[in-house]
Amino acid sequence: MSTPLLRRFSFLERITHWVVGVTFVVLLLSGLAFAYPSLFWLTTFLGGGAAARVLHPQIGALFGVGIVVMFVLWIRDMFLDARDREWLGAIRHYVAHDSEKVPPAGKYNAGQKLFFWVQSLLGIVFVASGLVLWFPEYFSAGLLNTARLLHYAATLGGGLFLIVHVYLGTVAYPGTARGMIDGKVTPAWARLHHPRWSGDRVDH
Amino acid sequence: MPDTLSIKRVSASSSALIPLESLRSGGPVYSKLVDISKCIGCKGCEVACKEWNDLKVEQTTNFGSFQSHKDLTPNTWLLMRFNEVEDGDDLNWIIKKDACLHCEEPGCLFACPAPGAIVQYQNGIVDFNQDNCIGCQYCVSGCPFDIPRFDKETKTVAKCNMCIDRVESGLEPACVKTCPTNAIEWGIKEDMLAQADKKVERLKQRGYEHAALYNPGGVGGTHMMYVVPHGDRLEDYELPAHPTASPGQLRGLNFLQRIGSYLFGFGIISALVHFLAVGPEIPDENG
Repeated sequence: MSTPLLRRFSFLERITHWVVGVTFVVLLLSGLAFAYPSLFWLTTFLGGGAAARVLHPQIGALFGVGIVVMFVLWIRDMFLDARDREWLGAIRHYVAHDSEKVPPAGKYNAGQKLFFWVQSLLGIVFVASGLVLWFPEYFSAGLLNTARLLHYAATLGGGLFLIVHVYLGTVAYPGTARGMIDGKVTPAWARLHHPRWSGDRVDH
Repeated sequence: MPDTLSIKRVSASSSALIPLESLRSGGPVYSKLVDISKCIGCKGCEVACKEWNDLKVEQTTNFGSFQSHKDLTPNTWLLMRFNEVEDGDDLNWIIKKDACLHCEEPGCLFACPAPGAIVQYQNGIVDFNQDNCIGCQYCVSGCPFDIPRFDKETKTVAKCNMCIDRVESGLEPACVKTCPTNAIEWGIKEDMLAQADKKVERLKQRGYEHAALYNPGGVGGTHMMYVVPHGDRLEDYELPAHPTASPGQLRGLNFLQRIGSYLFGFGIISALVHFLAVGPEIPDENG
């Protein structure tokens, strides 16, 4: 007997997620190659240092477009409400997997919503500073050096976010990643992690 | 006597942080000394530079100055800049040789992310190796003197290499060789410093009370030094009063990069520890 699955993400949402995800990983690896001499060999995957220097900003442009589409697609669901603030107050129960003590989350929990806003902010920093570094001939040395600092600071945030995001979406919460593959989740998964959203779904 | 070129620093390597010791310590450390008060603006050095380094000729236009090119380019490593500066009722006509100063602490090399694209030799020369250049132009913003120039065709950066092939063979750079007034001198840096003291002293006797040597400490001193008649007005010569090899933003960047590598490791380890502590949260499909 098979239970009907819940549809969590549309095709457009999934393709946008993976454009941002894949470009970000490629950008992170080639970016770390520029930041750390001991990782310079990572540029090999893009065809060497000079090719990486050309491709990194072009891939970055695609990433930027993806971030904008993502923002437009998801912003409606990302405003925090009173229940989200309760959720944040109980975040240690969420971390400890004490799901009975976690206030029920909607389609996105407060952590995911904050993730969205911080990630959007990082996206702006990445793209703005990246544009300066892409076309250095049009900017002053001081601005370029500032852009390098900001671009790396955003990398720190984005890199740590990636680790948390992949960990939570795969090994910590099995069943989550499927929402980004064929777009579906099981009712049990939804009841456990997003009770208010699963309630919506079941009622209709 | 030809000098072997021993390497001191290589960009994007450990020697960028801790310079290598010369295997044969005590080798010659050279410097150019440009006496601005002795230059007659003949631009012979510009021509010698182009010829010796086989640099492409660029069409120039008259823009109301004796200056040949408006700016340095990837094919113009040396430019005599002509500036008219009003000095009370007087007019000061400044002719300055603009080219790489070959810093002892090269900001370009510190900023460069491409291993081996910038090399500093024990003799003081800072040279770009275009084979390893990736065209990011970080050296341009790392240079406090605005010297490196990006070549859009080759996507690499170029600047004066102090005629390293001549120096290696025991010769002086081409600009020095050709200078008819000895406004550009070449020799062991210590000798050049002593020579500069004498020149400054003589200028002071002639009434240039602020005459000075330009060998800025912020970049550890340079291997092209200037004797400037008006040392109190460095901006007239377009020489920064306080150049630095490591601007604040790049110091901040280095700091972030250092803690960043630990933070990434910390992030991965935290995820592992969390997994071991509480494991996965699996939905009860039968519930």
